[in-house]
Amino acid sequence: MKQVLISILCVAYMMAATGIMRAQDQQRKVTPVKPSTNKVLTPPKGTDEKIIQQYLSGDSAQARAQERKDSLAKIYPRYPKLTELSLGLNFGDAIVMAFGQKYSSFGVSATLNMWNRFQPMMELGIGRAKDTPDDMDYTYSGKIAPYVKIGANYNFLFKSEPRYQLYAGVRLGFSTFKYDINDIVINNPYWGEYQNLQLKGLSSNALWGEALAGLKVNIASNWSLGWEVKFHGIFKYKKSENGKPWYIPGYGTRNGKWAFGLSLYYTIPLSRDRWPVKEEKKKK
Amino acid sequence: MSRRYSFRLTLVAIVAMALMAACNNDNCIGNSTGIPLAAFYEGDEAVQVPNLTVYGIGAPNDSLIIDNTTASQVYLPLSITKKSCQYVLNYNTDGIANDTITLNYSETPYFESHECGAMYNFNITSWEHTRHAIDSIAIPVPLITNADVVTIKIYMQ
Repeated sequence: MKQVLISILCVAYMMAATGIMRAQDQQRKVTPVKPSTNKVLTPPKGTDEKIIQQYLSGDSAQARAQERKDSLAKIYPRYPKLTELSLGLNFGDAIVMAFGQKYSSFGVSATLNMWNRFQPMMELGIGRAKDTPDDMDYTYSGKIAPYVKIGANYNFLFKSEPRYQLYAGVRLGFSTFKYDINDIVINNPYWGEYQNLQLKGLSSNALWGEALAGLKVNIASNWSLGWEVKFHGIFKYKKSENGKPWYIPGYGTRNGKWAFGLSLYYTIPLSRDRWPVKEEKKKK
Repeated sequence: MSRRYSFRLTLVAIVAMALMAACNNDNCIGNSTGIPLAAFYEGDEAVQVPNLTVYGIGAPNDSLIIDNTTASQVYLPLSITKKSCQYVLNYNTDGIANDTITLNYSETPYFESHECGAMYNFNITSWEHTRHAIDSIAIPVPLITNADVVTIKIYMQ
């Protein structure tokens, strides 16, 4: 009998203790206060219900982390690692040749847009030159030769849609090529000498670097136009026993420091379902 | 950004490219062919030689390079068909006989640049001279290009 009575008392005590603890929990959840001032905290308007619940449950660290993440997502919409792939055609020289330029390069490029921010790229192309300068006695004939460029861009408009891009970039280019100097006339007036000669099959190669700024704008559907202004310099080039090249495929004239580029791009979106959705669209 | 702006930007880029292609043509810095430039010295000091006449032996019409002129430097044009040239230095002064300088060389056709064109470069292999007023001759860099620099140093007695 005595044992039964003790058991009843224990159960009653445990029930009472549990009740007190529940009451304490309820009190903490209902009125969160700032410890320093004991002021009751009220969540700002529009705060996500999930975050409020996390605060009320006492897990304020997780709530703050979530808040920061949401806030950053609003400021820096994060595009997926593989945002899009652009295939480009560099066609500027084709137009400028109509204005009298004596050399041209055409290239196709592939640019991978990562996080809408970093854009590694590669370009393959060909170039040629033919010129008989006024008042000079020779014809420069640069044979069609390949070039390759690798590099990367940084898109400053990474928060915006990839349709508009303002970027800075660097390139490393290389070309190996041959050229002829034809119809050379040498006059040596003091000794009364005259010679007509040709320099055939001169070979060279060049390694160069470019720093550029560019703008890329969507014009229709997946098509974009790109404009680039480049400052470039030659790291190394091969002189032959009979001369130095005038034109380098993919680079331009050896002495030129500035160049413009004009390209048409076709862009293939990647991971389109993971692109950030605009706020207005979210509300709708 | 509309298509209209794209079109304008494209026009600007084309004009800029055309201008750039036109502006990349510089003038030739240097001579239009490889030619040695000789300068006169006494010790380490550059000097002028008065009343000097210089001509190449075998030049058509006995043409002169300089005629009775006070000179500190003189170009000595090389023949592109011979491997050796001789020059006479006439001091036009009583008691000083003419000196003769002989330059032996090989030549190489060379495309220097778009602006300067094609020319011959020369490599001086050896040289000789008489010693009436000349003490010695030095050719520190035997490659003669179109660079407008002194390549032959003639030390006078």
